Amino acid sequence: MLNPIEATNLSRSFGDIKAVDSIDLSVSSGEVFGFLGPNGAGKSTAVRMLTTLLKPSGGSAQVAGFDVVKNPSTVRKKIGVALQDAAIDPLMTGNELLRLQCVLHGLPKRSSSVRCGELLERVGLTVAGDRRVGTYSGGMRRRLDLALSLVHEPEVLFLDEPTTGLDPTSRIALWEEVRNLNQDLGTTVFLTTQYLEEADQLAERIAIIDGGKIVREGSPSSLKSAVGAPTLRIDVSENDLPSARTVMNRFGEERPAQKNRIAIGLISGTPGITDVMNALADSGIEIQHVELDEPSLDDVFADATGRRLEGGKA
Amino acid sequence: MKNNVFPQVVKLSHRSILGMLRQPQSWAPGLFFPLLLAAVYSSQFSRAVTIEGFPFADVSFLDFVLPACVIQGVLFGSTNSASDLAADIENSFMDRLLVSPVSRGSILISRLASAFMYGVAQATILISIFAAFGANIAGGAPTIISIVVIAALLSVSMGSFGIAIALRTGSQEVVQSTFPLIFVAVFVSSAFFPVQLMEGWYGAIARKNPLTWVIDPTRRMTIHGFSWNDLGQSLGIILAIASVGVGLSIRQLRRRLVRAQ
Repeated sequence: MLNPIEATNLSRSFGDIKAVDSIDLSVSSGEVFGFLGPNGAGKSTAVRMLTTLLKPSGGSAQVAGFDVVKNPSTVRKKIGVALQDAAIDPLMTGNELLRLQCVLHGLPKRSSSVRCGELLERVGLTVAGDRRVGTYSGGMRRRLDLALSLVHEPEVLFLDEPTTGLDPTSRIALWEEVRNLNQDLGTTVFLTTQYLEEADQLAERIAIIDGGKIVREGSPSSLKSAVGAPTLRIDVSENDLPSARTVMNRFGEERPAQKNRIAIGLISGTPGITDVMNALADSGIEIQHVELDEPSLDDVFADATGRRLEGGKA
Repeated sequence: MKNNVFPQVVKLSHRSILGMLRQPQSWAPGLFFPLLLAAVYSSQFSRAVTIEGFPFADVSFLDFVLPACVIQGVLFGSTNSASDLAADIENSFMDRLLVSPVSRGSILISRLASAFMYGVAQATILISIFAAFGANIAGGAPTIISIVVIAALLSVSMGSFGIAIALRTGSQEVVQSTFPLIFVAVFVSSAFFPVQLMEGWYGAIARKNPLTWVIDPTRRMTIHGFSWNDLGQSLGIILAIASVGVGLSIRQLRRRLVRAQ
C-alpha cells in the first residue's frame, strides 16, 4: 500500500527560478512530518503542488494514493488544507464558514450541524462560533482554519506554517491541538514551518529544505545526533577539578569551558550521561551543577547549509 | 459524501449575497447617487420635457429619468460582486475553494447569481422610492417586472466583465478602477437626456452607446406601457453584452485553473 504522501523528483520552476528542485518525499500513515526551511526555501510551493493548487513542472506526487495531476479532484476529497495566511472570510461567522465548508465537501445537512458543533468545541470556539471572523484574534482564526480543514475527516492534513505570526500561548495551544488530532484520529500531518522549536515539538520526522532542495531528512533526534555528540558540562569545586577532568576524559574529548567547569563531547550520546555520573560518584567527586546541551535543529541546518535559520540559537 | 453542484451554487451565492449585505458601503452609493441625481435633475430640468423635439409628450421628468436611475444604480454596484471575488483571490479564500472538491463552475455562477440578486434588490428599492415620490409607471406590474429583470440581467452582464478582470488580475483595486468607465458610459448615453436633442460628437457617441439601446426601450415601456418588442430589444442587447462578459469570465477562470491543473 502506498504511503499517504509520495513524491518523486517533484519540481516547480517559475521562469529561471527553481522553487522546488527534484525533491523526493515519503510520509507514512499517521505520521507528523515536518518540512522545515527559511522563507523562500520552497516549502509553500511544495505544499501547493501536493494539494493540487499548482501544477508541477516535473516529477510526480501521489497524495492519499492518487496522483495530484491525474486525479486532482479525488485528492481534494481526501485532504484537509490550512494555508499560510488563514484564508478566512472576515465577514462570515465561524459557524457559517464551517457550514459552507461542509456543503463544499458534500456532507449531508443533518450531519453537518453536528459536525460543525463538534469541531467548534474541539478548537475551543463554541462561544465565538456565531461571531464574525473579523473580530477573531490571530490564534482564533488559525484554530478556525484548522477546524475548517477537518470537516470531512481528511486522511492527510496539510498545515502550511500554521503558527506564523502567533503569540507563544496561541502557538502552544495549536501544537496541542495538532498533537491531539494526530493521536485521536491517526491523521497524517504534513506541516511546513520555519520555526525550529515547532518542528522539534511536533514532527516525528523532518525534511530540511533550502533553495528548493531537501538537504537533510530524518527524525529530529537522529538529525541532531548526526551533527555531533552532545556537550556535557559539569561544575565541581576547584580541588576536584583535576580528578574530575581525568574521569570525564574517558567519555569524550574535552571542549572549552569556564572556570571550575569541565565540558566534553559525550561520545555515547545522551544515554551515556548515567555512566559519567556513576564514574564521578565512584571517584568521590561532588558535582555542583550538570548541563547537557544537545545539538539543535539549527545546528543541523547550519551543518547542511552553512547558515543559521532566523531565530535559531547561534 | 455527495458532491452536488446545486447546493454548492446555492451556498456560495448565499455567501456572496451575505457578504454584500454586510458591507453597506458597497451598495449604499448605488442607491444614494441615483436618487440624489433624480432629485436634482427633476427640480432643475423639469421644464426640459417642454423643449421642442422632446420625444415624449405629457411626461414628467421624474418618469423620464426613472429607468435611467434604476440602470445607473445597478451599474454603479455591478462591480461589487467582482470586487468581492478579487478580495477572495487576494486573501487566499479562493485557494480554500480550489483545494476543496467544489465544482469550479459554481464559483463563477455564485458570483453572477449574487450580481443578479443585487440587481433585483436595487431596482425594486429604486422603483418603490420613485413611485412614492409620484413617478408614474405605465403598464403597471408587467412594466415594473420588466424593468427589474432588465436591471438584474444588466447587473449580471456588466458584472461579468468585472469578474473577468478580477480573475485575470486578482486585484480589488484594478476592479474598482473600472468604475469611472461605467460612470462615463452612463453619462454619455440617453440616460438623462434624449439623444434626439443631442448634437455633435456627444450625440454621436450616445447614439452608439449600447446603454442607450437598453435605456430607450426601457423608457418607452415606462412612459407608454409594456411592450414585448421593447422588452425584447433591451434583453437582446443585454444578452449580447452578457455573452461577451460571461465568455471572458469563463476564459479567465480556465486560465487561472490551468495553472493548477
